[in-house]
Amino acid sequence: MKIGLFLGCNIPLRRPDIEYSIRYMLEKLDIEVIDLDGTGCCPAFGTMPSVDLVGWCVGGAWNLSIAEEKGVDIITGCGSCYSSLNESRYHMEKHPEIKEKVNEILGKVGMKYKGKVKIWNVYNYVYEVIGLKKLKNKIKYNLKGMKCGVHVGCHNLWPSRAYTSNDKDVFLPTRLREICEAIGGKAPAYGSILDCCGMGALSSLAKNKSLEIFKNKVRLMIEEINPDLCVTGCSSCLIRFDNDWSQIYKQGDINEIRPSFHIAQLLALVLGAEPEKAIGLAEGPVNEIIEKIKK
Amino acid sequence: MAEARIINLVEESEPNFSDELKEAGIDIKKLKACIKCSECASVCQMALAGLEFYSNKIVHAAILGLREMFLDDPSSSVWGCQSCNRCVEICPMDVKPFEIVMAIRRICIKEYAFPPNVIDGLRNYYTMGHAVIVKGYEKRREKVGLPPVPPTLIGNEKMRKRFQEILKNTVFAEIALFSLD
Repeated sequence: MKIGLFLGCNIPLRRPDIEYSIRYMLEKLDIEVIDLDGTGCCPAFGTMPSVDLVGWCVGGAWNLSIAEEKGVDIITGCGSCYSSLNESRYHMEKHPEIKEKVNEILGKVGMKYKGKVKIWNVYNYVYEVIGLKKLKNKIKYNLKGMKCGVHVGCHNLWPSRAYTSNDKDVFLPTRLREICEAIGGKAPAYGSILDCCGMGALSSLAKNKSLEIFKNKVRLMIEEINPDLCVTGCSSCLIRFDNDWSQIYKQGDINEIRPSFHIAQLLALVLGAEPEKAIGLAEGPVNEIIEKIKK
Repeated sequence: MAEARIINLVEESEPNFSDELKEAGIDIKKLKACIKCSECASVCQMALAGLEFYSNKIVHAAILGLREMFLDDPSSSVWGCQSCNRCVEICPMDVKPFEIVMAIRRICIKEYAFPPNVIDGLRNYYTMGHAVIVKGYEKRREKVGLPPVPPTLIGNEKMRKRFQEILKNTVFAEIALFSLD
């Protein structure tokens, strides 16, 4: 089986350790990774989607048609990419007149979007295509009962109408928690599990307010379940949980910190990846967790 | 806290605003189906963060045609939306508040009313194919055992030229936020 790896912006340019991890885990799970040369931004919600609906779909279809050319579906580790690509796909599917306009424009450089590509995020692909049984059989290490504070990420869940794969109850998601449990962790639900990490437009517009919702979220999480580590389903959320949390912790703006991993990084580690590559750019205190995993 | 403001609908409401919203992709019938239940506000992360203007208020202002209010206030309204789509998911009338937010952004952009960071993202998107470019990526990539340049538009000038060619055929060109040459 093969899948096209859609990189987007933050993963290849800011946290390429997530890119390494996605490549590693897929290969270990017998999936061939196909590079989607010439793809770019999904486009991010603050760019083309905020300018024009057809333009958004042009940007999305540019990326999707490259995957179509290669005859593969798409996987992404970024929630924004997952959402923007799926929404442009959905708009074109529901409104043939938009798709027609998009193809008129793509046609100027000899490209065409047919509408055949499925877009996956990492955890839905692992859950639905690979399966927990196979995952359990393939892992070299396990989480040894460590407790995971799971954060799925808004864009992985909503709007469900645009997604072809999703949790049964999108306001009570379990798939990411089930994956953490399949690799030997505990992953309880907690009251603020659905709260946003604050990354994104809100962070650009009102940084302090966006950090406050993050701090409230993790304070409540720690109070309720006191996790050993946090696990995100999205790269932007990981930047908030790892890079930003480390910064505010160093500044004394929050008293507690937990090591945080993107689900692809955690899976790469339990499948045997070198930590220097799989989570080599972490700012948070991840070493103790890595040692426990590798024991 | 901003001061409470009384809105004079006779003077401030612009009935033609719905035409602009329609042009920006909105089904006006659906917009007007809003029953003001505020379910969208109960899940809006802008409300959670304490912004004074969020999902249900944006929908109501759009219905009332308060165009100038959106244009006068580019730093604290529709630009804080996380695009999380909780509002779309929960709305019992299928109003799709998020889509209203995006349509209003599109109207604001045409009037050059937006926060300064928006232009940087758009320029990066057009010139390099990536909205977010974080300097020093080559070293970070090599550190984790990857080639210094990813197989994306940032390292592929030929594809970038084609990409820019298609963007020149979108509304992007008409609004002329920066030179496309």
